[in-house]
Amino acid sequence: MLTVFIDFKSPASFLALAPTLALAQETGVQIDWLPFSVRPFSIPEEQAEETVGERHRRVRAIAQRNTHLHYARVQGRDMHFSKTPAGSDAALAAMAGIGGDPVPFIRAAFAAYWTEQANLDDEAVVAALLSSLAMAPPDWETAREKLVSIRTKAEQSGIFESPSYVIADQLFVGREHLPWIGSLIAAAPVG
Amino acid sequence: MQQALESDAPLIVYVDIKSPYAFVAIRPTLALEKSLDMRFDWRPLTLDIPSYLGSARKSKGKVVESTRSASQWTGIKYGYRDARRYAERQGLMLKGTEKIWDSSIANIGISWVMQKDRERLANYFETVYPPFWRRELDIEDVAVVEACLEQAGIDVEGFADFVQGEGRARHDALQAQLHPGGIYGVPTYVFDGTILFGREHLPYVRWHLEGRKGPAPDVAYEIDSLEPLPC
Repeated sequence: MLTVFIDFKSPASFLALAPTLALAQETGVQIDWLPFSVRPFSIPEEQAEETVGERHRRVRAIAQRNTHLHYARVQGRDMHFSKTPAGSDAALAAMAGIGGDPVPFIRAAFAAYWTEQANLDDEAVVAALLSSLAMAPPDWETAREKLVSIRTKAEQSGIFESPSYVIADQLFVGREHLPWIGSLIAAAPVG
Repeated sequence: MQQALESDAPLIVYVDIKSPYAFVAIRPTLALEKSLDMRFDWRPLTLDIPSYLGSARKSKGKVVESTRSASQWTGIKYGYRDARRYAERQGLMLKGTEKIWDSSIANIGISWVMQKDRERLANYFETVYPPFWRRELDIEDVAVVEACLEQAGIDVEGFADFVQGEGRARHDALQAQLHPGGIYGVPTYVFDGTILFGREHLPYVRWHLEGRKGPAPDVAYEIDSLEPLPC
């Protein structure tokens, strides 16, 4: 079993989805998809008098955005960064409450966020998304409580970023680790 | 003056001796350079870590001074653990540093080697990177860096003057161009106006340098063997 923590508003999570699903298909590993909300991606405004640290953070954010867009093109994926990024907690709560295969919802939520700039913290938006997949909306209060519970447990086990992969008691942050994760899956006892 | 994004070489590689990410990128990047029979343009980028990641000093394994937040520490600790497990796959030891080093002298050493004895650059990296990350080198001491250069078979006549004069001036002038050029960390790979930070881009860099044949690869930390190693 591979546990993968994602957030719909995380650009790295968005770009990790297809390679992670490809690995699952290739190896047959089962994935436990869990929500882990991170800060919305934003680029700080350039200040008239920046400190070195402020400039570093701004330059880093621009470079990260450019790199995400670069690999979105590599993956043939449509991706747009919003100047005012929306939240994602309602969609993450809904994902936490899905009893069956969450992948269709995960695909739809990522697409809605990164191509249509949907506000995935709006329960009505998320309910519409679920409805388009013939899925019923969750009891929001219960789902949000579950989201908090998952986050608390995740933080206790050292999760701090999305996407995070946990396998064989090891934490890997980012899809760049998929070769090593694949080797761990291959080495795992069958059955 | 050296321009941050321009070179006659097919690839510019920015590294810093005190970066664990650069440390684990050195051998894979050198291997790529060798496999393609190319000469990359290796350059120093001396990170100003306290300016963006807070500062800290340890003594006997315990933090005795720190301006870092809890989330900064979480990320830094993961970063070291991650670099360490990949270093171990390369047969290298990576110990967390006891303080934030000024790596400029050792980094100016990179420029010295590029200028004086380019073919021995890999030797210099081997004499400075692994011992530094075993906590065996004081890279703020010019005599220690000279000893690394000599061990790598590189003439050090004039190196101390270079560090204080031309080498320092070139180093500082280059550093001043990096943020305006869009470069902020190491290892950074630059080619044809594209800037990529991190060794996870090596598959893409290779694809580019080999003539962009077939589909472009995604990011990946390539591993030598599919045999998993303990962390």
